[in-house]
Amino acid sequence: MAVEDVMVEPWYMMQMVQAFLQAPVYHIVIEVLLIVWIIGLLFSKSYRIQERVQLTEKEKEDLLAEWKPEPLVPDTPEDHPALHPRVVSGKAGLKVVVDGKECLNLATLNFLGMLGNKRIEKAANTALYKYGVGSCGPRGFYGTVDVHLDLEDKLAKYTRTEEAILYAYGFATIASAIPAYSKRGDIVFCDEGACFAIQKGLLASRSKVVYFKHNDMEDLERLLKEQAKDDKKNPKKAAVTRRFVLVEGIYMNYGDIVPLPKLVELKYKYKVRIFIEESASFGVLGDNGRGVTEHFGVPIEDIDLISANMEMSLASIGGFCCGDSFVIDHQRLSGQGYCFSASLPPMLSVAASEALRIMEEKPGIFEELRTRCQWLHAKLSSIPGLKVCGEPISPIMHLQLAAPSSRAEDTKKLETMCNECMNQGVALTVARYLEQEEHLVPPPSIRVAVNVELTEDDIDHATAVITNVAKMVL
Amino acid sequence: MDRTQPKGLPTRVPVGTMGDGGTTYSGVNPNAVWLNSRGIWLSYVIAVTILHLVLLSIPFLNVAQAWTLTNVVHNIGNYIFLHMLKGTPWETNWDQGKSRLLTHWEQIDFGEQFTTTRKFLFLAPVILFILASFYTKYDPLHFIINLSTMLLVLIPKLPQLHGVRIFGINKY
Repeated sequence: MAVEDVMVEPWYMMQMVQAFLQAPVYHIVIEVLLIVWIIGLLFSKSYRIQERVQLTEKEKEDLLAEWKPEPLVPDTPEDHPALHPRVVSGKAGLKVVVDGKECLNLATLNFLGMLGNKRIEKAANTALYKYGVGSCGPRGFYGTVDVHLDLEDKLAKYTRTEEAILYAYGFATIASAIPAYSKRGDIVFCDEGACFAIQKGLLASRSKVVYFKHNDMEDLERLLKEQAKDDKKNPKKAAVTRRFVLVEGIYMNYGDIVPLPKLVELKYKYKVRIFIEESASFGVLGDNGRGVTEHFGVPIEDIDLISANMEMSLASIGGFCCGDSFVIDHQRLSGQGYCFSASLPPMLSVAASEALRIMEEKPGIFEELRTRCQWLHAKLSSIPGLKVCGEPISPIMHLQLAAPSSRAEDTKKLETMCNECMNQGVALTVARYLEQEEHLVPPPSIRVAVNVELTEDDIDHATAVITNVAKMVL
Repeated sequence: MDRTQPKGLPTRVPVGTMGDGGTTYSGVNPNAVWLNSRGIWLSYVIAVTILHLVLLSIPFLNVAQAWTLTNVVHNIGNYIFLHMLKGTPWETNWDQGKSRLLTHWEQIDFGEQFTTTRKFLFLAPVILFILASFYTKYDPLHFIINLSTMLLVLIPKLPQLHGVRIFGINKY
């Protein structure tokens, strides 16, 4: 009965006020403190926690005194290559006209001779008249044309994956794909010799990057073991950390091939995801040019993401990623290069499609290319004073000095060699890097690119010229 | 806080501020930005009022119990949504995994302290506490419940605890 009384008893304002007046002292004290505190808080100024570090006047002075302004345009050395540009006229096919002189082209990464191919040119031309030049928008914003979808389909079928995604710029392909998956707090194990595009992708990903020795699977395993040990100590953190291994099929800067079977073994042992950048190996390795997976007979499903640019074997522009649908689809909203860049011009997409068709029709072309690579590799290896870096079947070879001295001197020597070779009718180029920006600058070298159209005579001629020039310069 | 911005503009985005170790904010955090709008504050007040009215309408609860329950439900909800859940459902370009380890409270205004939104969220539990104290007639039991749940949501809001995970609880 008493309980019911309490429940129906009305709460008059008078009683409330009385209760307030009879409130215990501790309660009043706490409420007053609370009110004072909250009023203080309401009038406090906003600030960033990181900005709380205040420099003293002296520290400020010191910092100002330390600062030395750099010139807006620094002095350029007389022999800077940018001051002496070489002009290429016409197409850079098997033969290239440099400064008016026709040379054998060993500088362009045109492995399958698709550059200047008449069939591709015709197809691209037809597309030009049908679609115009540009696509006028990103893929998700009126920039998708049927030929893009068609090429994506074809690439997926060709690589035997579920889906492919097109990018408008080769460099941006892997540089966008990495940050789409790997975020802050994730870990990427990357080969030290990885190309510049991969390094930029890693930078954009904000992930923790662990470099392992170039092509050294034991070093990678050591690092993975260390990581596994750390993970055991902190399983909660491990549960939310993604782990990736990033390698290239054929290394652009070294010309060697990644030991994929061992890598796949490590993948399942240590639970990491594999991303392969296949720019130099797509259209080169394997019986059908499917790349390094076909070369080693590794099922392509074991690789989580494959990325390649279409600027080498396919002689178009742009790049693609391929893999499982649920992996690739993620890039359609998260790949920065895909979302925020105008799509590939339709005619270039058609050119790549046509090149892919040629690759399908002539599967012998890859074996032919590799034979030529082996020929050239063997010939170049015999040149005294130079050393060839890379696998014999790689279409990219790096000619380094057998007896290196300082970097500047070596580069100068190699540049002189290239110029001299050019005068004698063989176009070559020194491998160029943004040296301050590279993680690990490879030793200076001449980058030789193999074209499937090279004949034995061409190879003999080129080798003879390089041998002569090497004798003269070194 | 940018005091020069007209009231009509919905959000304040610090563009080009180099607050976080050289990161330039070029976007918004869609997970936190909605909390800055005045309409959301009004909705917040309305939601708490409705919660209270619903609790008042339950027959076997008296006024004191209804007020304490309002306060407790509000504070627990506040704690879960602002201080327990981490990450964001919309991972934008700006984010790149940054919010994965941050609670919602820490994401508000890019981590800037004592902004208007934060002041509002500080104020809400305090006002509720004072009201609840009044309507429970300063009863000691109600007082303990109300005070402890209020501290549960006020303490994690302090700048000193920004990014701090005591004993590593809820760290990853």
